[in-house]
Amino acid sequence: MRIAERFGTLLQSIKWGEWSLICLYLSLLSGILVGLHYDPHEPYYSTSALDILIPYGAWFRSLHFYSSQLFFLFALAHYLAVFDKSESYDTTSFIVLILCLPVILMLLFTGYVLRFDSTGFSAGMIAEHILEAIPFFGSTLDRLLFAISDGGLQRVYLHHVCSFNILFLLLAWNHLRRYYRVNLTSHLPLVATVMLTGVFVAAPLDPEQLGISYITGPWFFLGLQELLRYLPPLIAGVLVPVALIGALTVLRRKSRWYPHLLTFVGCWLVGYLFLTVLALTIHD
Amino acid sequence: MNNGNHRQVASPARRLILLLGSLLLLYPLIRFIRFKLPRKPKIIEVSGTVKQDGQLLKQDFILLSRDDQLWAVSRICTHLGCRINYKEREGYLECPCHQSRFSIHGEVLNGPAQQHLPRYHVEEKGAPPALFVTIK
Repeated sequence: MRIAERFGTLLQSIKWGEWSLICLYLSLLSGILVGLHYDPHEPYYSTSALDILIPYGAWFRSLHFYSSQLFFLFALAHYLAVFDKSESYDTTSFIVLILCLPVILMLLFTGYVLRFDSTGFSAGMIAEHILEAIPFFGSTLDRLLFAISDGGLQRVYLHHVCSFNILFLLLAWNHLRRYYRVNLTSHLPLVATVMLTGVFVAAPLDPEQLGISYITGPWFFLGLQELLRYLPPLIAGVLVPVALIGALTVLRRKSRWYPHLLTFVGCWLVGYLFLTVLALTIHD
Repeated sequence: MNNGNHRQVASPARRLILLLGSLLLLYPLIRFIRFKLPRKPKIIEVSGTVKQDGQLLKQDFILLSRDDQLWAVSRICTHLGCRINYKEREGYLECPCHQSRFSIHGEVLNGPAQQHLPRYHVEEKGAPPALFVTIK
């Protein structure tokens, strides 16, 4: 119980929201720089060129990669830390903020796909097939968002640099307009850590290797990749993730279903973690 | 969340017009999004040769040669679209994402894939002969 309390106190003491915002700014700035040399018609070539040829390209790509991942992780921590305070939000504002999470995930995911290395290509194709599995409007949704096998990375690129950012800003605007001014000087250790991480830890890039028998997708996609082995794409790729997002949108303390929803979300996360560990260990 | 702005509430008639207008817009929008630009079949000239009882891996397909016969099968897995590889020692094709297995002729040996891999037409032309693979 003490450990849980200490963890709770630690969680509350850090300004996760500000950290998340700092990482968002770093991600946007480094993203603009990476975009100067990235070419969606030669995705893998231009990504490799960033790493190998272009001066400081590897650093800016790493900076973009790690700041984006941290933006998402800190946003999650922020949600946990201020969950109790979120009771003051009305239902619509709360749902709109929760919907930012899948949009951020889509931004991360499209970033992975844009590398178009072996994991990026596979992740993109899997996403395309998952959307195709949705009855009635699945193929329209695929034509809107991915259509990689037909149109290359044109749509993925458009949504990564434009549509999903606009959607995120629209959803988060009411929240962000009150907090968007962060004092950079108060967060110098964080900025320095992210910058140095970019220097010392390269962003992943997986060239195609002949005869390779197992490739894994992005870390947040691993559980889903494993689930797709056992269940049809519509269930594993659509209904299961939508169930979690749906549960999160109605997870409020004042709800009479709160204990059941909390149990569901907890079981979902434990199950997903188990599948992720399975994906990382059993097939390697 | 009241920020002091007074919004004008639209009348029900205006809302209905807006709803109907949006629904009308939906049809051209969906037709526009769903349109696929017709593409010509892709004919790929293969540089390099395929040894007798050998194989040649290309980005979209794998060329195989057995008993004086030459054929090409797609490398795109019919389960979820990952790019499959040839397992030389075992003599079958395997998807690295979910380990679906296919025979060298493209038939499913092991799921989760349910459909066989498409086979492509291979033509030998010219002197010295070059290989042309047609992907539809």
